[in-house]
Amino acid sequence: MSKHDMTRRDFIRRALRAGLATYALSGVDGLLGEQAAAAASGPTIAVASRKGPAELVRAAVGAMGGIGKFVKRGARVLIKPNVAWARKPEQAATTNPEVVAEIVRLCKQAGAREVKVTDHPVDGPEALLLRMTGIGPAAKGAGARVNLASSPALYERVNLRGAKVLKSVEALRDLRRADVFINVPIAKVHSATGVTLGCKNLMGTVLDRGAWHRSNLDQCIADYAAEFRPDLVILDATRVLLSNGPKGPGRTEAKGIVVAGIDPLAVDAYGATLLGRQAQQVGHLTRAKDMGVGEIDLGRIRIRNV
Amino acid sequence: MSRRLRGLRRMSQLFFFAAFVLLFAFAAFPLRSPIPVDLFLRGDPLIALSAMVSLRKLIVPLVWYALPLLILSLFLGRVFCGWICPMGTTIDICERLFRVKGRHPSQAPRWRTVKFYVLIALVVTMLVPAAHRSAAELGLTQTVGLSAVYVMDPIAMLTRTFTLVGLPAAQWAVQMTRDTVTSWSYTPLVEEHPALDRALIPVQTGLSLVARDGPVHFRLSLLAFATFVGVVALGGYARRFWCRNLCPLGALLGLAGKASPVRLAVSAKCTGCMRCVSECKMGAISEDPHQYSGPECIGCYSCIAICPEKAISVTIGHRDTDRTDELQLDRRRLLSAAGVGLAAVVLPKVGWGAMRTQATEKVLKVSSARLIRPPGALAEDEFVTACVRCGECMKVCQMNALQPAFGEGGLEALGTPIIVPRMGPCIQPCELCGAVCPTRALEPFTVEEKSHLYLGTASLDRSTCIAWAADRQCLVCDEACSYDAISQKEVEGIPRPVVHEDICVGCGICEWVCPVEPLGAIRVYSSGDRRHWTRAEQRELRQRAEDERQPESDGQLLYPGL
Repeated sequence: MSKHDMTRRDFIRRALRAGLATYALSGVDGLLGEQAAAAASGPTIAVASRKGPAELVRAAVGAMGGIGKFVKRGARVLIKPNVAWARKPEQAATTNPEVVAEIVRLCKQAGAREVKVTDHPVDGPEALLLRMTGIGPAAKGAGARVNLASSPALYERVNLRGAKVLKSVEALRDLRRADVFINVPIAKVHSATGVTLGCKNLMGTVLDRGAWHRSNLDQCIADYAAEFRPDLVILDATRVLLSNGPKGPGRTEAKGIVVAGIDPLAVDAYGATLLGRQAQQVGHLTRAKDMGVGEIDLGRIRIRNV
Repeated sequence: MSRRLRGLRRMSQLFFFAAFVLLFAFAAFPLRSPIPVDLFLRGDPLIALSAMVSLRKLIVPLVWYALPLLILSLFLGRVFCGWICPMGTTIDICERLFRVKGRHPSQAPRWRTVKFYVLIALVVTMLVPAAHRSAAELGLTQTVGLSAVYVMDPIAMLTRTFTLVGLPAAQWAVQMTRDTVTSWSYTPLVEEHPALDRALIPVQTGLSLVARDGPVHFRLSLLAFATFVGVVALGGYARRFWCRNLCPLGALLGLAGKASPVRLAVSAKCTGCMRCVSECKMGAISEDPHQYSGPECIGCYSCIAICPEKAISVTIGHRDTDRTDELQLDRRRLLSAAGVGLAAVVLPKVGWGAMRTQATEKVLKVSSARLIRPPGALAEDEFVTACVRCGECMKVCQMNALQPAFGEGGLEALGTPIIVPRMGPCIQPCELCGAVCPTRALEPFTVEEKSHLYLGTASLDRSTCIAWAADRQCLVCDEACSYDAISQKEVEGIPRPVVHEDICVGCGICEWVCPVEPLGAIRVYSSGDRRHWTRAEQRELRQRAEDERQPESDGQLLYPGL
């Protein structure tokens, strides 16, 4: 008997487990008060609000089915926050360190074998950036391996089939190697692309960003987002940057929100509204939608408020 | 006793050499060192003398750090050279590498007076700018000239070599290793065996601690390397050739210790076997082994150790062995040395010196377009004479932005630090270079002050800027600017970058990130250099510029007239 054959006992066990899980989840749904569940047929996102950063993360991830749904025991996890600039957390140019740390902790609790935190920074040297943004000590304290990726040795050339402009790109090797990729952007306005959310945050996993600016930035972001789809996007909107983005210094606002979702465009579409924009006005989001990356119509997105 | 003394000396040499290396390594972010990382440079009386004389300025911290060595030398002569000097230790260590075969390493023509002429020439180069400063105050001349001490000072030279040659080489080696080890993590073998992967982690982490960011690169590395090898290789011709014949610091300390009461005494037991004469690495003992030259002895006490009769001992106040006739300087050569010093001051003023930076009132006149000094730098004519080209600022710079000047600012600025933005920008939250300069050519500054320390001005070339010339979606310069000196201006529906010149401090981050290859469409030029202003005046300018700009409804700031 090969190991793929199922005994009757196994079958009953599995069926019972699946049934119980469905029942439990449906109960959760009811409790969470899903918005317009009947009308929306598209992807689901979870929006957590009015809590501390760590609780927001737990609530949003919990509403998406819990971390165990994404991170299996022994998995290798790659977490990509925004550590692009030498700014302090309160300047809202980089991801909230408490948010990053909590995600690391959740992954560890779920039994992840390895949790890496990385970004390809624009500003400054690694030691200063990690310390100034607070992400270095926070993520390390939570048990992650933290390294910023400036060395070309960490990248590999990837050909993007189906891309309109960005046919080939040098992307982080860990994107392919990791079992689970969690994108953790911060919501900010952006001088060149209007907003910077999940899709734009992926730009921190490529070696040569200049090439994107020289060709067609919006389309490059869309091409890349079509190829590299995170297993989970956790958008940090605990404090957002509303002017002079992406580096600031600018006007910030404490929103106290964390958004989680699997559809990268659905999360970004919701995130855009937090910055006073509509996804339909954001070039790279509409282009990504045209490529079938996801949904940007908020009317079709199921929003679980927790 | 004598052998123990020699062992003690070697331990002292190694201790101070290790201290030199460690302090050098500690000259890095976050700069947490209980003792100043530039201790050796600060403690060098020649450097202190040069900075204070040529600027006619009492630099109190330099006095305090330089005094101990002078006092030590008054009593013990050149023990610094034998026991402490890291350059001397380097020469001792490398001696065997360069030794000329078949030649007894201590036999060499006696050029030992040369170092005194070198010292005299250097003192002249300190005095000329000082005299010019006095004359300038009377309205007689412009201030010109610079001290040439940096050319010959051993501590500055060694620190410079460590920065420009040792650091890039070491970092390159470490990073090559780290990258190789890292690439193993992605091989199928390691992928399949988590234990192997785990074993690689501490190696990668350890190597990352040594060299985190990309390996540094410096211009002029080769020149620094050639000079250093030259100095060390002379040791193969005659032991400690540099120390006995050329080193101006050794000359200064030797002069200070001329009346030192601590002397060597030779007893009647001496049989004249001459072993001490050939053993002395400084060639300080004359053909008559009862006599030696005090200013040449570096207190290594090898003579005591080698003497089979134990005839040599250290005494206090015994002067019979003194032999000072070696120090008789020739008057004609003295004048020639002074002449050479004068030429060293004047020559850079013709030719390359024509590019000199000159400030009159509030305007900076003719200057090298790309002479972008680090924050806190003194006005140019003071800066070039105060800077000893030790390279500490370049070592500590986190972005590899600081490079030795080669052409910018003329010959007189050779090797002084400038920001080369395309190699690295002066990032905003950093004040390290101002904290490590031994002569205060870079005065300490705070991160807050950096918003109004004007180093230069960014200038955008609309004919090559891809936002202006090719309608591309690019505002990377605006994104990266730390001081909000670049705004976007919408022309024909497309946002394009514009520079606000009175807000821009010339940090160079825009030039660094500009995706236009190879030079960047936005470049920093020295036109906005306002070092000749006081910091208060610069702060006022910044404040005025801030007040002038009007916040727009969506929070984007616009500037009048752009």
